[in-house]
Amino acid sequence: MNESAAEVAIETVLDPDVRAHYQLAWLSTVDHKRIGILYLLTGLVFFVAGGIEALVMRLQLAVPNNHLVAPDTFNMLFTMHGTTMIFLVVMPLLFGLANYFVPLQIGARDMAFPRLNAFSFWLVPLGGILLHFSMLIGDASTVGWFAYAPLNETPYASRLGVDYWAVSLLVLGIGSVGTAINLITTVLCLRAPGMTLRRLPLFTWMNFVNAFLVLAAIPVLNGALVMLLIDRQLNTHFFLPAEGGSPILWQHIFWAFGHPEVYILAIPAFGIVSEIIPVFSRKPIFGYEFVAGSTVAIALLSVGVWAHHMFTVGLGHPMDMFFAGSTMLIAIPTGVKVLNWSATMYRGRIRLKTPMLYCVAFLIQFLCGGITGISHAIVPLDWQTKNSYYLVAHFHYVAVGGILFAILAAVHYWFPKMSGRMLSEKLGRWSFWLMVIGFNGTFLIQHSLGLAGMGRRIYTYPDLPGWGWMNMVSTVSAFFMAAAAIVILWNIGCALLWGAPAGDNPWEAWTLEWATTSPPAVDNFEALPPIHSRRPLWDDANPDRPDPVVGPDHDGASRWDKYRCAIVAFALSEGGFFGTLILAFLYYNVQPQAGPTAKELDLMKTGIFSLCLFASSFTMWRSEAAHHRGSNRGMISWLMITIALGGVFIAGQGLEYGKLLTHGMRIDTNLFTTTFFTLTGFHGIHVVVGLLLMLIVMGLAVAGDFVGKPAPMLGMVGIYWHFVDVVWVFVLTVVYVLPRCL
Amino acid sequence: MNNLIFDWVWSPLAALCAAAALIVYFCRVRWSRRGWWLLAAVAVYLLTLMSPLAALAQGYLFSAHMLQHILLVLAVPALALMALPGSARMPARFARLLNPGVCWACGVGAMWIWHAPALCNAAATSRLVSVGQTLSLLLLGGMFWWQLLAPDEGQRIAPLHGVVYLFAACVACTVLGIILTFSPVTVCRAYLNPVDRLGIAPILKGTWGMTAARDQQIGGLIMWVPMCMVYLGAIFGQLARWYSVPAETVSTAS
Repeated sequence: MNESAAEVAIETVLDPDVRAHYQLAWLSTVDHKRIGILYLLTGLVFFVAGGIEALVMRLQLAVPNNHLVAPDTFNMLFTMHGTTMIFLVVMPLLFGLANYFVPLQIGARDMAFPRLNAFSFWLVPLGGILLHFSMLIGDASTVGWFAYAPLNETPYASRLGVDYWAVSLLVLGIGSVGTAINLITTVLCLRAPGMTLRRLPLFTWMNFVNAFLVLAAIPVLNGALVMLLIDRQLNTHFFLPAEGGSPILWQHIFWAFGHPEVYILAIPAFGIVSEIIPVFSRKPIFGYEFVAGSTVAIALLSVGVWAHHMFTVGLGHPMDMFFAGSTMLIAIPTGVKVLNWSATMYRGRIRLKTPMLYCVAFLIQFLCGGITGISHAIVPLDWQTKNSYYLVAHFHYVAVGGILFAILAAVHYWFPKMSGRMLSEKLGRWSFWLMVIGFNGTFLIQHSLGLAGMGRRIYTYPDLPGWGWMNMVSTVSAFFMAAAAIVILWNIGCALLWGAPAGDNPWEAWTLEWATTSPPAVDNFEALPPIHSRRPLWDDANPDRPDPVVGPDHDGASRWDKYRCAIVAFALSEGGFFGTLILAFLYYNVQPQAGPTAKELDLMKTGIFSLCLFASSFTMWRSEAAHHRGSNRGMISWLMITIALGGVFIAGQGLEYGKLLTHGMRIDTNLFTTTFFTLTGFHGIHVVVGLLLMLIVMGLAVAGDFVGKPAPMLGMVGIYWHFVDVVWVFVLTVVYVLPRCL
Repeated sequence: MNNLIFDWVWSPLAALCAAAALIVYFCRVRWSRRGWWLLAAVAVYLLTLMSPLAALAQGYLFSAHMLQHILLVLAVPALALMALPGSARMPARFARLLNPGVCWACGVGAMWIWHAPALCNAAATSRLVSVGQTLSLLLLGGMFWWQLLAPDEGQRIAPLHGVVYLFAACVACTVLGIILTFSPVTVCRAYLNPVDRLGIAPILKGTWGMTAARDQQIGGLIMWVPMCMVYLGAIFGQLARWYSVPAETVSTAS
């Protein structure tokens, strides 16, 4: 194909009118708006699945001594309901909204890496199908969404449910990390001129901060899942106490992920509310800096308070006291937010349209959920109410009354932009009131049930005084929520078919997504208004009294290279993964295990091979330097040396493995070999991946792809390679050197 | 609680250093409201080294030693730097040396190195090493804070970089805190069997319920939780600094 023919072909492919005719356009799309909608639809499908699971559970609990479902089925139901709602409903819905609106709000044409974006999305259905496949074959995990050890181990859960659960979460976790990297890079590198970080709309700001939290938290879960899968598949015993493993370590790692996860779900919801309340109060947000800053506070605090999920484990008074204290601190930044939202509404011209109704309900219900959350920070109270329905009520007030209400507000707020049609206000009000009555009816009374002693996760209960009617109220109300969901879907369906045209800016909002058509064109914007403040459309509509200019028009961040930015973010997430594995190694090897210990390892030989690896970082750097000088040959030869040195290192590791294996030390011998093979094995995989990447880069370089051009790929592989070497510094220290000093 | 609150430790060297700092400062800098920061720094310094906290840290409690450690690295140098007048500048050749990477490594290194079992023990048993430790903590802490609190705005790190700087420090100290909290190995053997010079061991063991393991756990937790709160507070300082950059001045400058 000659040049011009190729250009014509590319233009045909890129032409939206031509592409729209392709049957598979939605399946092969890399457009952030379509991917956003796909996320939302996927979330909806799983919402129906998770909702039905919840309704079956409520039916089972409607009357005492009920036998609608068997105990084991009930266990599957609550496990699937929790996992589905968190990982397959709320996260996809929030990622979908972020996907659609973050690029629009910053005036970008798309996400930074559209294909990575599509990849991240398609992992969601893959993970969801994996998870629900186990349900369909009647063998789903029965061990709860946090899958406590040792219940999650083969002796106690010998069938495949937990494996499906773990693999599915691993798949979803990888997708989430991809999305986080993409969001960070998009916000840092693709902002329109004038859209400085100080001027970001709060929804974008909070998704940006949240993406860092995803990078910090999800790899920790991945670490735990990997250990669990190794335990189950290779007969090791990370978490099996009978063989010296530690179930408590699972709890620590899980909640080190699990608590930030709560905020991963909540922070984008805060962002939604921070967008909608000002628009429908006709006032700018009160105290932007405090709302934005408190988000950072919540994100940072959330990483350091996980042990409050473990007050009943028996960690000792000092642990309990410190974590009770730090947990209570979270009330400050969340309180700041609630205060700011209320202050925004105070003396505003409030328009109680459906999105605003949902936000007001969010405010009240989230406050309730927050206050019962603080009550759980009081250790003795926590001992009494842990794993009772009081806790169930608490986290549903946060997750449904808070987060889901915010998502519904967002759906009603942004639907006109996504479809070009208005939703019916009347049906919107119906759905809202059904939802409010249903939600509060279902969960308010569960506080009393919990305080009356009803335990979480029991499949049925005896006919104790008060329990029967309270459960019945809860069940009946749950069906009001189901009705609300149906009304919402009906509303959406009707609006798509017959809804009134929305126009560009039906709510008279001020952020950039309302500056384009509804729905936006493929490339988003014809032209952007000038951006000098946090409300560019206000300035545009009111040139005589614009908002004060915020900060300078440029910030340093806009100069960052997107490839570099993405690979650094990726390295950060991998750092979390390796950090988890390294700490697990320390945990099990500070005191030598019975059987083989780190003293079996050959420090001398490994030291020499390590020098090769460290030297390869140097040669990699020389290779990049040669490319900067414009010397393709220099670059290739330095790259070849790098690959050779990396190969020597991997061969050395292979020798070490061979020696251990011939001496009968396998991964399931004892906890030393388990942690050793896991940690060095994953490092080895990373080295091999690095080598493959370098081979590809070298192939391209030999073909002359990089001559006289910047080579972002070389830079990315370089940073990845340095990262792998830095990880080895820590692994070498902890695995080979430290045990000899202790 | 018996006479614990009267168990002050007289340290002529510390008093001398404090006096020297005050004299040098007030000879060279005219009194302004900033001077209060220096007074606060000196007060914290003296309380750290002479109060019952110091008595507890001398051979009794690892956790008391940890509190001292944190006050010396984080509180005293930060307060002292805030006392410096805006005109104070680091000479250029030192300033070049003090790049963010070096300063970060110093601040975090001050936490890690002194908790290597051998060094921790040496500091708890030898007077000389202990003095060296105090000096190094103040110095390294000062280097860490210099990036954030240098009197001259131009010698400070950019605010958003400051957030990363502090967050990374928080992570590094959290990891150390976690290791100390959960480690079955005694980090500082000197605290295992204290010589009961002051007759307070019964209070510690009985009333406070302190055991060696619990003592180390509390020490680790102090490093893990409250310390991160200090960094977190400083992160807000950076965010406030970042948001307060005015529109006009920088636009004209750039």
